[in-house]
Amino acid sequence: MKKRLLVTLLASVMILTNLAGCASDGGDTATNEDEPVVEERAVEEPAVEEPAEEPAEEPAEEPVTVTLGIWPEDTLVEDIAVHEGFVATLAETHPNVTYEPAYYRYAVDTFMPMVESGNVPTIFEAWFTEPQKLIKQEAVADITDQLAARGWLDAISPAIKELLSDANGRVYGVPRDAYALGLMLNVELFTEAGLVDDAGYPLYPTTWEDLAEKAVIIKEQTGAAGLCLLAKDNSGGWHFSNIAWAFGATLCVDNGDGTFTSNLASPEAIAAMEYVKSLKWEYDVLTADPTNEDWGTGFTALGTGAAAMYIGANDAVNQPTQVNGLPLESLALCAIPAGPGGQFSLMGGTPYMFSKDATPAEIEAALDYLVVFGKSPEVTEASIAGMRADNQNKADNGVPIIPRFACWVGQDILDAEAQIIEELGNVDTGMYQSYFDATKAGGLRTEEPGLTQDMYAELTKVLQAVLTDEDADTAALMETANSNYQALLDAM
Amino acid sequence: MKTKSKFRKKDLAGWLVMVPSLILFAFYIWQPLIENIRLSLYTAKRYELVEFVGLDNYVRAVNSPDFMAAFSNTFEYIFWSLLIGFLVPIIVGILISETVHFKGLFRVGVYFPNIMPSLATVWIWSFFFTPGDTGVLNILLGKLGIEPLMWLTDPDMTIPLIIVSMTWKSAGATALIYMANISSINADLYEAATIDGAGIWQRTRYITLPSVFGLAKTLLILQVISVFQILQEPMVMTNGGPNNASISIMMLMYRYAFRDFNFPVAAAISVMICLVLVLLSGLYMKLTAAKDE
Repeated sequence: MKKRLLVTLLASVMILTNLAGCASDGGDTATNEDEPVVEERAVEEPAVEEPAEEPAEEPAEEPVTVTLGIWPEDTLVEDIAVHEGFVATLAETHPNVTYEPAYYRYAVDTFMPMVESGNVPTIFEAWFTEPQKLIKQEAVADITDQLAARGWLDAISPAIKELLSDANGRVYGVPRDAYALGLMLNVELFTEAGLVDDAGYPLYPTTWEDLAEKAVIIKEQTGAAGLCLLAKDNSGGWHFSNIAWAFGATLCVDNGDGTFTSNLASPEAIAAMEYVKSLKWEYDVLTADPTNEDWGTGFTALGTGAAAMYIGANDAVNQPTQVNGLPLESLALCAIPAGPGGQFSLMGGTPYMFSKDATPAEIEAALDYLVVFGKSPEVTEASIAGMRADNQNKADNGVPIIPRFACWVGQDILDAEAQIIEELGNVDTGMYQSYFDATKAGGLRTEEPGLTQDMYAELTKVLQAVLTDEDADTAALMETANSNYQALLDAM
Repeated sequence: MKTKSKFRKKDLAGWLVMVPSLILFAFYIWQPLIENIRLSLYTAKRYELVEFVGLDNYVRAVNSPDFMAAFSNTFEYIFWSLLIGFLVPIIVGILISETVHFKGLFRVGVYFPNIMPSLATVWIWSFFFTPGDTGVLNILLGKLGIEPLMWLTDPDMTIPLIIVSMTWKSAGATALIYMANISSINADLYEAATIDGAGIWQRTRYITLPSVFGLAKTLLILQVISVFQILQEPMVMTNGGPNNASISIMMLMYRYAFRDFNFPVAAAISVMICLVLVLLSGLYMKLTAAKDE
């Protein structure tokens, strides 16, 4: 009897719980379905009533709320003041829109639960690694129509647009910045090592061999590591792919039929890995534990003088300076060194993306915010004011003001930016010249195709092995990485 | 029949008291557990099921290049944790119980690491284990004229060192449990043994150890279950490296779920972890039950 009662009780509880789960699912669906109805009305009404002049304005009156995940965090008081200015500007032109601060720092372990619970801000900033994953999971909004209507679609740099698009060419994000990898230099350490010319500019390395030799001099003269190399997580593989290109490697081949061939065990890729190994065991110029260095610690090492060189991009110049205290004049950015295969700079873009639950009206309002923020291809009085305010704020906080890497192709926006940078520029452009020369010279290359993050993971494992074991068999390790990566590509 | 009816009535009140807990269990434990098993059999967009694929996710998980390393490392973690971490609290517990002076001080001392936040502990040990000239341990070795060691970057030392840091943190708390157990042993036994001329070794061998044996059995299986789910220590200290030398099965699951957003494969791995733990626990119960008989 007791057993039967227990079973009945447990069963009822389970059924009730499952029903509760189903009911809440149903409820969510109903809510989700409701929203598009409102959206459709908002979009369709003007189309239907367009001939009758006046009523067309009605939809604009509908209240719209935009949550701004791109709002600065609470401690950045000056940045917040700048954004409050943007909201005030928009209050005049968009009286029906409420812009709500909703600071959100993208994090992989919180993002999907937020998507499921409908709590993702209308607009947020994701990492450059994320767009394709989020697009595949249908976790972000398709904004192709809104971009097309504004004429922005063709204004996005084609390489960046590809990173933000799905296989059908639908676009899901707007570039905040584009970046191209370069080599950041701690000028203080170069000066201490005597590696500067008469004008005080650092004698930056032009080839990878040159880098190793200069790194040795720096270590001998200053005691600091010559180079901070990453091998903790996928960013190790990410940086290594740029080194491998210089050695003539192509790490993944797109077969054009939706399949890919792994090419990690090519003689060029092995040569590049051998080179990295030599930095540790032959030249001994790396930081104490590369297997514990990631994107953030690399900037700390550079900014605090623990390392003289670090692979970094133009969109992260605030990291060694504002975040880690390196004086503005002590930072230089040069081109990634060349190798036997040529000189290449890996390029990509940091995107703004939109909640999958955002209505077209909300997306439009969020895009309008980007215009005022100066992060759009539109050149208006408001956007120029926004750009100026943003750059002034950088100048006030000791962040180098250098040209953004062109994520928009329109000449107007580039000219407007150039003018503001000329006005507010706070660094000696000579410290950045070789970087911008190189990126204009045609060596730009986007990430390898086909499960790129998995490829980085495999390469990182090899990096860890060769950097911790002097006797590691590089060719055999690359062969293993190659077959692992190919197996993952085959299972796609 | 009358008795049975009375029995049921008496039970009902008890069951009613249990209902809130059962509902909470069902909602927070059983339902997610069942949903997780269901998720592992489907493809999904985000957490929403798309298509039933049977055991495909399990096959994908097992075929992952990192699976075998993660699986075998996890058993290696258990081996080292039993070797290093299982005996330490028993020894500490016995030693402090036998201590006459400053007992309280020692008790607080061994428990102290346990009040530190886990992440802080992990970071501190990472600084200790930094290879090269800047690591705390290497600086100390340098003073003794010994060459710097590789510590966590030596694939053979990674797992034992992670276990050392975990033992440092948690052994004190377990030792307290042993001490409580030892203090409940009838003092007359010790007194009689002492009168009969038994020293510390004999008292420990014939009184203390047999008394804590039951508790040790329970703590052993709890330790195995806990270490099988090791995640944050290798994640922070080594990120599973070098070259997968310290990746654990939970780390692999975490990567599938939160690096790749591939929740079905992550669910499949978690179901496998659950099955292995059920098997291990069952096997252990059977072995110890046979021994008890």
